[in-house]
Amino acid sequence: MIESPSILLDGNPVPYRPGETLLEVATRAGQDIPTLCHDPRLEPMGSCRTCLVEIEGWPRLAPSCATLAEPDMQVTTANPRIQRHRRLLFSLYLADHPTEHEACEDGAPCELHHLAHRHNADPNWPHMEPLRADRPGDRNPYVEFRADRCILCARCTRYCDEVEGVNAITLTGRGSETTISTSDQISLMDSSCELCGGCIAVCPTGAMAEKMPLVAGAPPERELQKVRTTCNYCGVGCQLDLNVDPSADEGRGRIVKVTSPPPGTITGDGNLCVKGRFAYDFVHHPDRLTTPLVRQPDGSLAEATWEEAIARAAAGLMGVRERHGSDALGFVSSSRCTGEENYLIQKLARAVFGTNNVHSCAAT
Amino acid sequence: MAGLVTTFGAGAMTNSIQEIREADFLFVTGSNTTEAHPIIAMEMKRAVRRGARLVVADPRAIWLTTIADRHLALQPGTDVWLLNAMAHVIVTENLVDHDFVANHTEGFETVRDAVQEYTPEKAEAITGVRAEDIRKTAREYATTRKAGIYYTLGITEHTHGTDNVYCLANLVLMTGHLGHASTGMNPLRGQNNVQGANDAGATPVFYPGYQRVDDPEVHARYEASWGVPLDPKPGLNLNQIIKEVGKTIHGLFVMGEDIVISEPNVSKLEEGLNQIEFLVIQEIFLNETARFADVILPGACFAEKEGVFTNSERRVQRVRKAVDPPGQARADWEILTAIARAAGADWKTSTPEAIYDEYVADAPKLRGISHARIEKEGGLQWPCPDPGHPGTVYLHEGGILRGKGLFTPVEYRPSHESSTETHPLVLSTGRTLYHYNAATQTRRAPGPAAKQPEAFVEIHPADARSREITDGDRVAVTSKRGRIECRAMVSRQVRRGCIWMPFHFAEARANLLTVDVGDTVTGTAEYKVCAAEVTLVQALENPVAFPGSFASVQQDR
Repeated sequence: MIESPSILLDGNPVPYRPGETLLEVATRAGQDIPTLCHDPRLEPMGSCRTCLVEIEGWPRLAPSCATLAEPDMQVTTANPRIQRHRRLLFSLYLADHPTEHEACEDGAPCELHHLAHRHNADPNWPHMEPLRADRPGDRNPYVEFRADRCILCARCTRYCDEVEGVNAITLTGRGSETTISTSDQISLMDSSCELCGGCIAVCPTGAMAEKMPLVAGAPPERELQKVRTTCNYCGVGCQLDLNVDPSADEGRGRIVKVTSPPPGTITGDGNLCVKGRFAYDFVHHPDRLTTPLVRQPDGSLAEATWEEAIARAAAGLMGVRERHGSDALGFVSSSRCTGEENYLIQKLARAVFGTNNVHSCAAT
Repeated sequence: MAGLVTTFGAGAMTNSIQEIREADFLFVTGSNTTEAHPIIAMEMKRAVRRGARLVVADPRAIWLTTIADRHLALQPGTDVWLLNAMAHVIVTENLVDHDFVANHTEGFETVRDAVQEYTPEKAEAITGVRAEDIRKTAREYATTRKAGIYYTLGITEHTHGTDNVYCLANLVLMTGHLGHASTGMNPLRGQNNVQGANDAGATPVFYPGYQRVDDPEVHARYEASWGVPLDPKPGLNLNQIIKEVGKTIHGLFVMGEDIVISEPNVSKLEEGLNQIEFLVIQEIFLNETARFADVILPGACFAEKEGVFTNSERRVQRVRKAVDPPGQARADWEILTAIARAAGADWKTSTPEAIYDEYVADAPKLRGISHARIEKEGGLQWPCPDPGHPGTVYLHEGGILRGKGLFTPVEYRPSHESSTETHPLVLSTGRTLYHYNAATQTRRAPGPAAKQPEAFVEIHPADARSREITDGDRVAVTSKRGRIECRAMVSRQVRRGCIWMPFHFAEARANLLTVDVGDTVTGTAEYKVCAAEVTLVQALENPVAFPGSFASVQQDR
């Protein structure tokens, strides 16, 4: 058996698989190295410099996200030199970012503020006026770009290119005027954007923000309850988090937004599409049926109590069975309902009404 | 799924979604993956980025063709010719995995003989795909170790849908692309819980866990468990039920489906619904079918109840309650229990977890999965026969489930309807990224509603020109069965002589046009081929770019 190669990580030998980056090896070994531009679904860019580590024999600190592990590399992830570097770096980032932590987090949590705090960044550096252009007035209903929060980590544009593959947004401009935009600054609605919202999900600072909760003045994400569930659209079964304001709607609770779980989550790897992330308005739509309805002799529909409606439904089905036999009944089930409910409807058809005439729309 | 059960012994994706990223060859056919299964498409994009070869066989130039190595743009309904010709190449060029064929399959000779006639040259004449492209695709598929087939309703929604599935299965079996990671035969399920509805026995042929109702042992077991006599003969499938509505079906219970939008040839169904004695629907919105209902019961949506969905890769995952249902609406499982009790059955008021336990107790394939295990370990893939079993990532690892994989020879049969003088175009229907089924949910969301506000028909520029139709014009689409109006989207995404429409829009129901003739085995209706014609109704006054499809930003090729 060939022994797998290893590196010396903070003095401890750690094996790695060829092709792994130092960040991957260190993360697997339980080290918590700060990153801003990194996302495991993206090609390493090495631009934010927060993940720098010291490698024995290398003159300069190296970005762990973009450096491949090599046999017997001696890597240090934390020492005074690295800490000094990180503190300086986060102080610089903060100087070009909204300074108030809470105000900055009016939507999603801000990874930059969290990391800056953890690495003792100095919040009192002179503040810079950002020169990055906003894109006000884009009529798309979902994505709001707030340039003052942007740190140009390019997670969003790389996600749009590498994962979603539509290249709707890009880095534009030069130097301190570099910003995120579409080609020709057109609306996302007119671009190749498919409204997957991946740019919002990967943004570490809330620069790419979800528009509707902001417009509605919903509570910030940190005050919402996250409920992990399975998407109700196609058959992929992506996992998603419903972000609920439990006190809204007289205590019934209201879905404020949908966020994606972290990369690596099965199923979906933290990715969502336009339907999964944004098409949940139907849940709280005023058109929802809220009370049982029963057809009247004059042909109109009238509201009924549950007792009346259930009795009428059961009696109607039993009447057909009496007049024409069990096989004059048909039960159409739904692949939209749960496994338990599909179990019950086929048991209802078979054990209660005596027919195998039960099928969901899953005929194929 | 019937085709897959026959050939392999299980009707589901053989492999897992996560394996797609490691595949080296992807054959995608009859699946507009980026629109119908966007997140699976992301895995495909990832594989292609890594260097995997992608071949798309589809009449339309779907998004995936923009990153594909090759697009086989076949004439709708000629899949058997294309796939048999690929098998022909694999057989004649001796690319067959003889060890696998000898050890794990039966009936190879029948297919070997049947595909003799299906030369790539003849196939070219019928499918419109170049013989050389068929040859290259067959060779690459046969000689790549990690080669997977991905398909969906473009394969099955034909009168010869099961034949198409057999043809694909023959390719898998003769190349031995089964029982390994990143290979296999992978039907991508269209709806969140299609797989789970089948798992749970919402089918006329099977009790939960794919146990036949006409198997005496199974029948006896369920009679004992439920304590009532049960009917030992299979029931009617959905297509048959729909056709018998108002004839032999006099009472109908519809839970969570808008049959008046989603079923083919709906005007005939509406006549039947006018005749029917009793109709109950259980819904979250007042849909089109509600017009005919005697009782309407307000159900709960996925965010308002507990339970499980099974995804395309056989993974049972949890659905969790986040908010209360509106008004007096109730979870569907509560409503079903109440009806059973009102009809005299002795059903206990229960919880989804207890219902689940009862459901899997008699279903060996799923018995090892429980709510508690999913809570702890995340979603689990069946088969999972006992609580210690880790679940099954890909099927057929230690040999094929039915013992030996069954080769099934298939001869080409034309689609039910072919183009005529009055209806010279071939209409296919399908889904788009922005909407979902009858669109009762997605049209209530501002983004999808704005990106794709109304119904449209894709028509090739040459066909549009000869009918004096320009992009955005109001047009009528007709078939022998009906007429609808929508907007024209002049696009090279469709072949000349073909048109394509989404079926999501209630005011332009594509299913007024489609054929209700079903596949001979499954009864699945032929949504993908019917003869149609497009005529101009009103020209667009101020022509503008029509957003909503990547076709609008695609260069004229």
